[in-house]
Amino acid sequence: MNEKEIAEALKKKFGDKIIKCEIPMRRRVFVEVRREDYKEVVRFLLKDLDLKFVEAITALDGKDHFEVIAHVGYSVSVSVKAKIPREDPSIDSLYDIAPGVDLYEREAHDLVGIVFKGHPNLKRFILPENWPEGVYPLRKDYEAKHPEPLR
Amino acid sequence: MSFYIPIGPQHPVHPEPLLMKFKVEGEQVVDVEINVSYTHRGIEKGFEYRDYLKGIYLAERICGICNAAHTVCYTQNIEQLLGKEIPPRAKYLRLIVEELSRIHSHLLWLGLAAHQIGFETLFMYVWRDRERVLDVIEAITGNRVVTSYNTIGGVRRDINPQIEHKIRKAMDYLEKRTKYFKKVIMEEPTVLMRTQNVGILKPREAIELFAVGPVLRASGIKHDVRADDPYIAHDEVPFNVATYDTCDVYARILVRIDEVLECINMIRYSLDHLPSGPYRLKLPIIIRPPPGESVSRVEAPRGELLHYVMSDGTEKPYRYKVRTPTLANIPATARMLTSRKNYVVYIADIPIIFGSIDPCLCCTGRVAFVDIEKGRSWVWSYSQLIKYSRERFERHD
Repeated sequence: MNEKEIAEALKKKFGDKIIKCEIPMRRRVFVEVRREDYKEVVRFLLKDLDLKFVEAITALDGKDHFEVIAHVGYSVSVSVKAKIPREDPSIDSLYDIAPGVDLYEREAHDLVGIVFKGHPNLKRFILPENWPEGVYPLRKDYEAKHPEPLR
Repeated sequence: MSFYIPIGPQHPVHPEPLLMKFKVEGEQVVDVEINVSYTHRGIEKGFEYRDYLKGIYLAERICGICNAAHTVCYTQNIEQLLGKEIPPRAKYLRLIVEELSRIHSHLLWLGLAAHQIGFETLFMYVWRDRERVLDVIEAITGNRVVTSYNTIGGVRRDINPQIEHKIRKAMDYLEKRTKYFKKVIMEEPTVLMRTQNVGILKPREAIELFAVGPVLRASGIKHDVRADDPYIAHDEVPFNVATYDTCDVYARILVRIDEVLECINMIRYSLDHLPSGPYRLKLPIIIRPPPGESVSRVEAPRGELLHYVMSDGTEKPYRYKVRTPTLANIPATARMLTSRKNYVVYIADIPIIFGSIDPCLCCTGRVAFVDIEKGRSWVWSYSQLIKYSRERFERHD
């Protein structure tokens, strides 16, 4: 399937649930959905359109909201984006449809503080054990400092 | 009765800081928990503080051995944001350096795998021949390992007929040697006993756990970004995707050896069909891409590499995300290391099973200095180097 057929199939299946669908270049599709539909869209891409792999999960701080992007792809890479309000940074976990996303979701949880609902083991993965709770280094309000030389 | 055996974070078998907690019953491994978080360097945050040109150097240092793949991925991502197409000659030159570093990485891994199963002779042979690739990389780029070759808009240096001749000679030598290594691997009984039916990963499991690269291809899945999502000149340079379907460590060795042979052919083809013309675009030093986002995928030696960038129109990226192949392969490794039904994992097989995914080592123990004028050389430990850099830092501050 090429990128145009995938975009068509998504529009046909989900209609106006797709907020935005762009094809910036060959073999790339960027889709934006609401966070309630995020898991269903990824499941449709993985199982029905046979894209097979979730390659990565990106979480980012968009200042007034958070964004979670699942990069699904085999030969075409489809990025499914969902915006999340800052007050309630949670989204459905993909763990039960794709157990390979385990570490990606834990990484996003650690560094941006997204809560993946339904993930069985959402414990600390990247940050050190003595890192303070509730401080998320990839958020924009976290200012990275130049490390002080050890003495 | 079960015991827990911790391996790492410091262990002679894997120089990489990593903790594996094995639950064993007798000699059999029944469960494993892997913690890989000891070397997180905050590189993704680091990208947000650097402009796009400085980002190349940071991307290069994510992984020493796959540095060519990382810079291809990074520069391609920024070029996609800018909407620029690089000249055809630059595409071919990038491909040559990328494939040379793949040969380097696979040969280095083959030596390590031989070392892990106790076959030291093969280790010495392979690492001696690996020097030839490093010599060629040095001739092209000026550096042996960290190439600093790719830049936004093309590559930094061109090649001339002398270098081309050197590459061809090295390729002939390496082809002969790699075929010999393949024969050794396929005929040597100790290698066969240590690698066949060890570290099984079934095709269904490989897809379910999103394994990438040679691990996936050794489980019989024909997926390679170079073939399925061609970048740089891969849509013009023909090659075969090497797959094996025995799903064990043996298959992973053969997949990598076959890939080395394919790389050699690809480099020869690229030299034969090298287009003429400029090798880089002239772009301004401060780059301000239009707001937008882009995804770039590259087949690094260890598997698929994915970079994502979001630009907000300023000279620094708003968000840069890197997904490295080893992270993707960790869940699959945990599955390989767990006994299930009639497949048994023994403690003695742990190093080679874990080694078979080619885990990425990113640590430097010491640095050697050579004073050319006085003709002497000395070695500094890491702590001495740190001390020196601090003294320098304080003097200049």
